[in-house]
Amino acid sequence: MKKFALYKLAISNLRRKMVRSILLLLLATIVSGTLLGATIFITGMKNALNIGTYRLGADVLVVPSENEAQARSALLAGKPTSFYMNSSVLEKIKEVEGVEIASPQLFIEPSSFTCCYSVDLFLIAIDPVTDFTVRPWLKNNQHQSLQGNQIIAGRSLPIMTESVIPFFGTLFTVVGTMEPTGMNFFDQSIFMTMDAAYAMAENSITKSMQPLKLEKGIISAVMVKTDGVINPDRVATRIMYALDGVKAIASDEVISTVRKQLSGLLTGIMTVSMVLWAMALFMIGFAFYMIVNERQRELGMLRAMGAKRQHIFLLIVFEAVIITFSGGLAGLGVGFGMLFALQEKIQQSLQLPYILPPPAVVRELVAASLIFSICTGLLSSLIPASLASRLEPYEAIRKGE
Amino acid sequence: MIQTINLCKSYRISGQVIKAADRVNISISTGELVAIIGHSGSGKTTLLSLLGGLTKPDSGQVLIEDLNLWSMNDSRLAQLRNKRFGFIYQFASLIPTLTALENLYLPTAFGKGYDDLKNRAMDLLQKVGMNDKADFYPSQLSGGQQRRVSIARAFINNPEIILADEPTGDLDEETEAEIIDLFKTMNQERGTTFIIVTHNKSIAQQAQRNFSMRDGDLQEN
Ligand SMILES: Nc1ncnc2c1ncn2[C@@H]1O[C@H](COP(=O)(O)OP(=O)(O)O)[C@@H](O)[C@H]1O
Ligand SMILES: [Mg+2]
Repeated sequence: MKKFALYKLAISNLRRKMVRSILLLLLATIVSGTLLGATIFITGMKNALNIGTYRLGADVLVVPSENEAQARSALLAGKPTSFYMNSSVLEKIKEVEGVEIASPQLFIEPSSFTCCYSVDLFLIAIDPVTDFTVRPWLKNNQHQSLQGNQIIAGRSLPIMTESVIPFFGTLFTVVGTMEPTGMNFFDQSIFMTMDAAYAMAENSITKSMQPLKLEKGIISAVMVKTDGVINPDRVATRIMYALDGVKAIASDEVISTVRKQLSGLLTGIMTVSMVLWAMALFMIGFAFYMIVNERQRELGMLRAMGAKRQHIFLLIVFEAVIITFSGGLAGLGVGFGMLFALQEKIQQSLQLPYILPPPAVVRELVAASLIFSICTGLLSSLIPASLASRLEPYEAIRKGE
Repeated sequence: MIQTINLCKSYRISGQVIKAADRVNISISTGELVAIIGHSGSGKTTLLSLLGGLTKPDSGQVLIEDLNLWSMNDSRLAQLRNKRFGFIYQFASLIPTLTALENLYLPTAFGKGYDDLKNRAMDLLQKVGMNDKADFYPSQLSGGQQRRVSIARAFINNPEIILADEPTGDLDEETEAEIIDLFKTMNQERGTTFIIVTHNKSIAQQAQRNFSMRDGDLQEN
């Protein structure tokens, strides 16, 4: 060691008033954690909405009315789910004015037997003849109609073309993969024909440990393309008027309802976080103002030892930044803790799966949060530090008496 | 050599002007050990602070060799304090959360530092008889021991001038005598200039020159 490092003095000063330092640290931790949690939550929500249904390709989605929430979860986050209704609804929907194409889909939640996939995998049966939502995503548009036990794999699934995969005791051959859609609902799905799905269910009774109970002729949802004359909202209303027990969701509406529910919440969270932050800024600033006051004599003596104004300024800023940065680090734990603790509540109250933004974004937010915590320290100690640096050494030593 | 020319400093306290330094002219050569005595409130501390560049005079000059202290900017003045002055106070001045040794290191935070910092500090602690207490915290030391450490600290950058403000004011007579002996040794061995403010007549008698202060007016005895 060649010379004494100033940061050591800063640390030793913090140790001197342990209780106060810990209280300030707790404050910084809570604020930093709340801000991080809120930002990740909000980014995640926006993300979820953006990649949501408008890319689904259907103008209206028809599901059993009691399964609306599940349908939204599936669409927004690709949360595997299954619910069923009779396929007779399909014919009725086709007759509703404004409907151009109506194509059925069947959602099957595969049981845990499927080996090797860590992702949530979702089985979707489609009608290759009427389908218009999956087709645009097929690679190279090489859409030969699916036949027999052929399947198409979503982009996020680590599955190679021509591999053979068993589902419920039936072997399927992968004949193609999808383009990335940005929707978990599609990217994590395996697509097969309705007929293959019914056959698979039938075979599962004898071939599978966990038979799939699926009556022939049932479907989960109907994807509707409107004729472009009547707007999707109106078509949805007409469908619900014509049919009992179904919920028709216009795809715009999926987003807008969620948005409405969320925007209040998000502004609330943001406001509370910002107020909290401003308060912390003020409190830390005030604490350091007092610290500077009570340490005047010592600061004066440091000046007498040869400390320049910058040294004094740095010393105070160091102390504040050490506290807020440590708070930022501890806040990572608090932030993620809050997110996971609240996840369930959010799911229940919003009927929306909670979605973290992609890892790269989370990493950026974490880095930003740490930088932000440093800035908090800088900002809050700016005034006290500059006051301290401007004390006249003799006055400071004398006033400290 | 440190020298003042018509140094003035006054304070206004509830409408009344108090002259803490009233046209002080003093010239102290390198290696001298001088004492300043005077009643409380006569301006001794103010004068030491003026000499050490801790407060700006209303008028007049402080010259170190031929360098006018207040012609320098804050940064250079701070450097000068760091290298050429050592201050010893009349109160406990060690940082309580640093050990004796670390307290000695402290002034090096503001300078270039030394390759042999530890040896340098330990030598000084030995000089003041505190080398076996290097890792003690101030609270584990007696008042006299703490004062010794702060004296050693004043020497860490090997200053030319030591400004001591009633350095033994709160110590018992025996310790006081030891500390004065220490000053004399340092003065003789290193040729350090000592300017000591004191109430103690016997210290004053041991000094090479003697000044007394009265209402900001300094006279040599
Ligand atoms: N910073 C100051 N503000 C106001 N008055 C001061 C200040 N410093 C010194 N004084 C006044 O100047 C006079 C001399 O003070 P000081 O130099 O501390 O004397 P001494 O050290 O001899 O006791 C006193 O009357 C004191 O009240
Ligand atoms: Mg005094």
